Amino acid sequence: MSTELIVRQKKMTFQKWVRVLAWRHFIALLAIAFALFPLIWMASASFDELGKINTQSLIPQYPGLSNYRALWENPDQPYWLWMRNSVMIASINAVLQLAIGATAAYALSRFRYRGRKTTLMTILIVQMFPQLLAVTAFYVILADLRESIPFMDFGSPIALLIIFAGGALGINAWMLKGFFDSIPSEIDESAKIDGASHGQIYVRIILPLALPMLAVVALLSFIGTMNEFLLTAVILGGNQEAITLAVGMRQFIETDFQENWGAFAAGALIATIPVMVLFIWLQKFVVSGLTAGSLKG
Amino acid sequence: MKIKNSQKLPGLFIKIFLLGGLNAFALWSVPVLIADGRFLYAAYIAISTLILDYIFLSSKFVAAKYIVPGAILLVAFQIYPAIYTGYIAFTNFSVGHEMNKQSAIDSIISNSLEPVGDDSILPMRLAKTPEGSTVLLIKESDGNLYLGNAQSLKKLPPNSWSVDAEGNIQSVEGFTFLTDEEIALVLEQYSNYFVPGLEENVKYRVADFTNVERITPTLQYNSAGDYVENLLTGEIYKPNKEGAFVGADGVELEPGWTARIGLKNLERVIGDERYRTPLVKVMIWTFVYPFLVVMLTFFLGLFLALTINHPKIKPKKLYRILLIVPYAMPGVLSILTWKGMLNESYGIVNKLLPGAVPWLSDPWWAKVAVVLVQVWAGTPYMFLIATGAIQALSTEIVEASEVDGASPRQVFWNIKLPLVVIALTPLLIASYAYNFSNFGSIYLLTGGGPVMYDSGGVAGHTDILISYTYNLAFTAGKGRDYGLASAVSFINFLIVAVISIQAFRRSKQMENIN
Repeated sequence: MSTELIVRQKKMTFQKWVRVLAWRHFIALLAIAFALFPLIWMASASFDELGKINTQSLIPQYPGLSNYRALWENPDQPYWLWMRNSVMIASINAVLQLAIGATAAYALSRFRYRGRKTTLMTILIVQMFPQLLAVTAFYVILADLRESIPFMDFGSPIALLIIFAGGALGINAWMLKGFFDSIPSEIDESAKIDGASHGQIYVRIILPLALPMLAVVALLSFIGTMNEFLLTAVILGGNQEAITLAVGMRQFIETDFQENWGAFAAGALIATIPVMVLFIWLQKFVVSGLTAGSLKG
Repeated sequence: MKIKNSQKLPGLFIKIFLLGGLNAFALWSVPVLIADGRFLYAAYIAISTLILDYIFLSSKFVAAKYIVPGAILLVAFQIYPAIYTGYIAFTNFSVGHEMNKQSAIDSIISNSLEPVGDDSILPMRLAKTPEGSTVLLIKESDGNLYLGNAQSLKKLPPNSWSVDAEGNIQSVEGFTFLTDEEIALVLEQYSNYFVPGLEENVKYRVADFTNVERITPTLQYNSAGDYVENLLTGEIYKPNKEGAFVGADGVELEPGWTARIGLKNLERVIGDERYRTPLVKVMIWTFVYPFLVVMLTFFLGLFLALTINHPKIKPKKLYRILLIVPYAMPGVLSILTWKGMLNESYGIVNKLLPGAVPWLSDPWWAKVAVVLVQVWAGTPYMFLIATGAIQALSTEIVEASEVDGASPRQVFWNIKLPLVVIALTPLLIASYAYNFSNFGSIYLLTGGGPVMYDSGGVAGHTDILISYTYNLAFTAGKGRDYGLASAVSFINFLIVAVISIQAFRRSKQMENIN
């Protein structure tokens, strides 16, 4: 790559290239090595048949797929059950977050009603408090409700989803409102003249136009749920059938770190690749979503 | 764009379906909650349902249709828990003080039950009456057979039943006995089921498939005087302010109940050496840790962004994609991978280094480890937003200063850098607030450890407030003190609030409100 550069940029002398560009490439490559190392190490461990931390080398001595087979065969590590739980909870949660967040964002962006400013201020303040700070309160609330309402119990994914839904009107609504604001209101006004109701404008005009942003919110919420540990562990932790990948993998690796290393790496790699591909694919939108409303100054 | 009215139909069906479901849930759950004495929850569900019905069945409140459903969930599962955390902080809710006073009294009395008489185990059959209700048929030692349920005990005529040679009940006229399979299914319902006995205070309770036990409580609650009396010794137990009945000799009856104890938890946190020393250390680290992380990730991210953002660096896009990989990896899994890599005896990091670094067992190295891993995980984000900020810089200002004769160096230090820092400040504060309660980054890597010995094992050297809270509340065998945990959690809330309000004031988000 670098020689090519010199040929094309004839004006640049070799000395100048070293002074201006070489160190930049060097630093970039160094940073990339640091960034990728855990992923590479994880991949290497997953193909190492010995499957232990202490015997691992970068190029596995006994390469093979036994760690991947263990994901199906090891009853102590029902990997696919955890995966299914995680994907189910994270998908349903992404849909709920999107449904609640987008509808609220539509109203906040398009309607001028009494109390709108108060609603916006409340949302802005409330979204700054992570739900996990109230973890003891959630514990007590569930301990209170479990006898009366069967699905509001420890070990119930529905309880977890309902609790997560409580946070939907925070950051998601705020992010989507910013995006809806950027859709020209002339579009929905002309539709209104043609006799479209507010519901039709929302479903048939705003939502399709906001599709990329909706995808980002869904993706971020999906990743967030896959990664959520504290509330998930407290609420689902007691029910081995219901725990998620994050809680299960932690439990699995904690019991015997040394012995389970290879199988852990295989499972971690399978869980990482799809999320990473999606993320990198959508990265442009993700960045604009994350910084929405903050980089204007 | 013409939209026909018929296309409103699916929406209408969804509306009817959802509202119907909600009302059905309310009709079922509200009576149950009232019966269980959970009036606040019952009232909230009832009122919410009425509001939603009203809004959706009227055509007036257009905006409310879109916002109120989310707002109801927000109040129930975000605002209420936050306030409730504050409330629990003023109680002694903990293991042994988990129930309300009435349940605690019931529990104390039923724990004090003792068998009455020498032959306290009596033959019994569970049977169905002709009407279909399940009752207990008990053969008392006086030779009579009694029909009992939770409310009453009734003697059956002597000629209507028979016993076998061992004295077991063989048949009773008009009743069908439950089979063993049927009993197995319902037995659990009888774990807290008492049939009134022949004398006052004497009861029967189901002992196994075919027997009851004749029992009597040794403790009795006197509601007029609000004390518990031991019927055998006459000792009196009076309620204290900490939610327990205490005897004259200082012995507490278990369990206690959840009592409002005012500022006691805060006093313990501030006044008690065992909590204060670790809390002060944890608090300092809670402030230092996110500061280090934000500073290091920001400067590294900005430096990388500036380094790569040069017009002659061609593989810019590839570099960027590779650099954000850590940000795209699921955090829980990457932190656990780091934990393996930092393993002291076998981990790759120590193999690459000349000496063995005690990453996870030395208080200082453990701190280095949690910061290092979070720098790895957080720098890509800073890199992304710094790149965005640099590209968004107004070229006019830069060009104007160049026209005015500023050198590239001056332009960078005096114009570009300050503008980027100002633009990113709100995000930096937000990132600080986020790392302030970044539970996973601490708990999954070090578990808060290594343990601080002077904390009784509850706090560790890398604990931040939220992981300390978790230890207080949920780590078995270490106290499980929800009241104290909530007090610590509430302090955490207050600090996050102050930080967030700062971020809020500095950001341009206020403009979006109009």
